Amino acid sequence: MAPPPASAVADGMNPPARPRDSQANIDIMAVTKGFHWPWLIALVFALSGVALAAATLAWQTYEGLGVAGYQAPVFWGVYIITFVFWIGIGHAGTLISAILFLFRAKWRNAINRGAETMTVFAVLTAALFPLIHIGRLWKFYFLLPYPNQRFLWVNFKSPLLWDVFAVNTYLTISVLFFLVGLIPDIAIARDRAVGWKKIVYTIMAAGWQGTGKQWKAHSRAVLHLSGLATPLVLSVHSIVSWDFAMSIVPGWHATIFAPYFVAGAIFGGFAMVIVVMVPVRRIFRLESYITDYHFENMSRFILFTSIICGYAYGAEYFIAWYSAVEFEQTSFWQRAFGPYWFSAWCMIIFNVAMPQLLWIKKLRTNVPFLFVLCFFINLGMWFERYVIIITSLSREYIPAAWGLYIPSLVEMIVLTGSFCWFSMFFLLYLKMFPIIAISEVKELEIHARDHGRSHGAHAHGGAH
Amino acid sequence: MAELVSVYDYPSDVAMVVRKLKDRGFTDLTTYSPAPFNDVEDAEDPRPSKVRAFHLIGSLVGVVTGFGIQIWMSMDWPIRIAGKNIAAIPPMWIIGFELQTLFGGILVVVGLAILGGLYPRPLDKHYSPRFSAEEFGIVVRCEDRDAAEVESLMRGHNAKEVKLEAAH
Repeated sequence: MAPPPASAVADGMNPPARPRDSQANIDIMAVTKGFHWPWLIALVFALSGVALAAATLAWQTYEGLGVAGYQAPVFWGVYIITFVFWIGIGHAGTLISAILFLFRAKWRNAINRGAETMTVFAVLTAALFPLIHIGRLWKFYFLLPYPNQRFLWVNFKSPLLWDVFAVNTYLTISVLFFLVGLIPDIAIARDRAVGWKKIVYTIMAAGWQGTGKQWKAHSRAVLHLSGLATPLVLSVHSIVSWDFAMSIVPGWHATIFAPYFVAGAIFGGFAMVIVVMVPVRRIFRLESYITDYHFENMSRFILFTSIICGYAYGAEYFIAWYSAVEFEQTSFWQRAFGPYWFSAWCMIIFNVAMPQLLWIKKLRTNVPFLFVLCFFINLGMWFERYVIIITSLSREYIPAAWGLYIPSLVEMIVLTGSFCWFSMFFLLYLKMFPIIAISEVKELEIHARDHGRSHGAHAHGGAH
Repeated sequence: MAELVSVYDYPSDVAMVVRKLKDRGFTDLTTYSPAPFNDVEDAEDPRPSKVRAFHLIGSLVGVVTGFGIQIWMSMDWPIRIAGKNIAAIPPMWIIGFELQTLFGGILVVVGLAILGGLYPRPLDKHYSPRFSAEEFGIVVRCEDRDAAEVESLMRGHNAKEVKLEAAH
């Protein structure tokens, strides 16, 4: 039969009043619409915490760092611990987005946006802490290679300066990676929005229409950013570890620090992805997109990196004993049996012992169990940094320089505020942009449908 | 001049139609996809993307800047630290690497914006929200006399709809 003339079907091309939409668009964009009580309650909590922490920080800035509990010999306390913790949390997003992308692990498509979002806000949170730690916030520019009035330059041989470059580079690349991935999904939102949201999405979508030329440039850009981000993510926590390892403080001066920190960061980062995504999946009914399969794969990563952490903990103790250096031996003895024994045992139990339960498949797919386990892993990872920083600084070479550090209420409020700050951004994001990469999910769905059709046609042809 | 707009459900059909259209000399065409499909992109333009050139330029500028600022600033106010050379090269690799990544990443995004035409602007007149749902589109600009041939080719490859418009 001859096809009808083009003009006969012209009317069919006019977009209908309610265009036929894909299920992925409807389900995932539904998160940004409507009203959800748990979301509002969480946002009120987060905003309250941020307000309290901001007021506390203002008081600390007025009074000076003396209110922070710093006392000789410990002048790196909760703020530096929390900085390292949040930088570590920020590693999972890039690992899932970049490294798993390069390995063509397609299962990442359902969780990469959530992890990237988490990364951006975690690094944003981390970047606050060096500023909080220096006390005089208005002097932060001393960190930058800026020709100040004394014509002095920064010390390029210091790992602290390397850290400034590494963290800022990581923040910039993470934000770029996140925004590049978001553009096609913002265009989806633009096409379905009305009012002020349409104006915002139209500007942010930057003229995206999904043309072949745009997709080609986009795919290449994502590939190249992945190639850049992969060594970057490994370098950032290595450089953070060198803040410690380049010194001669007992317990810090170890060559294993870089891989140990990177594995710990991936471990803690994946745990945080699970802690964040479990309630999101439940509240916004995204079970058909973020499935038990995704949680099982993440829990495999957690198990693997937990074993690396366990090996690193063991190697540290072994080398301290085998080196026969009294200062090292004392430092590690103090970790396990000194005044901070509680933190060391929390670290070992939460980070090494408890994750071994993930060898059991039933537990790897038990989402409530994973949520609780990952909460404790995050606690354990915070304690890991507490152990490294506080036990070493409080027990250096001579007993005359020994001391005891107890975090002050001010530090604990700012620490709690950092979680609220992170949560506030994440919650606001949820109501503005898609938490699952819609176009990447559709890529898989359409591919499967196309492949199924070709396969079906082939089988049908073969039968004849 | 005529413009034909066709709509499809499957990327393999789109890639096939694009290849055949180009084989027959209809090269002035645009595709719209709801997701990335290499087949479609390569059918439209098989040449490698120039994003890589932006990456290379950004990375080279970054690494040169990284080493340059460190050497210059170290020499500008020389202070010997830990017995090392004033401009000791080994520790400079770290900031050199970071700036290579930073500049490379920024230039990749600049390349994406330039090559993909990503700036706030009005959308094409044939663009439809259907193309950000699950459907695919091909727009071909051709002579009026060729419209029937193009239409026939599109319909022969599972076009759901074909619309003919006069182009100016």
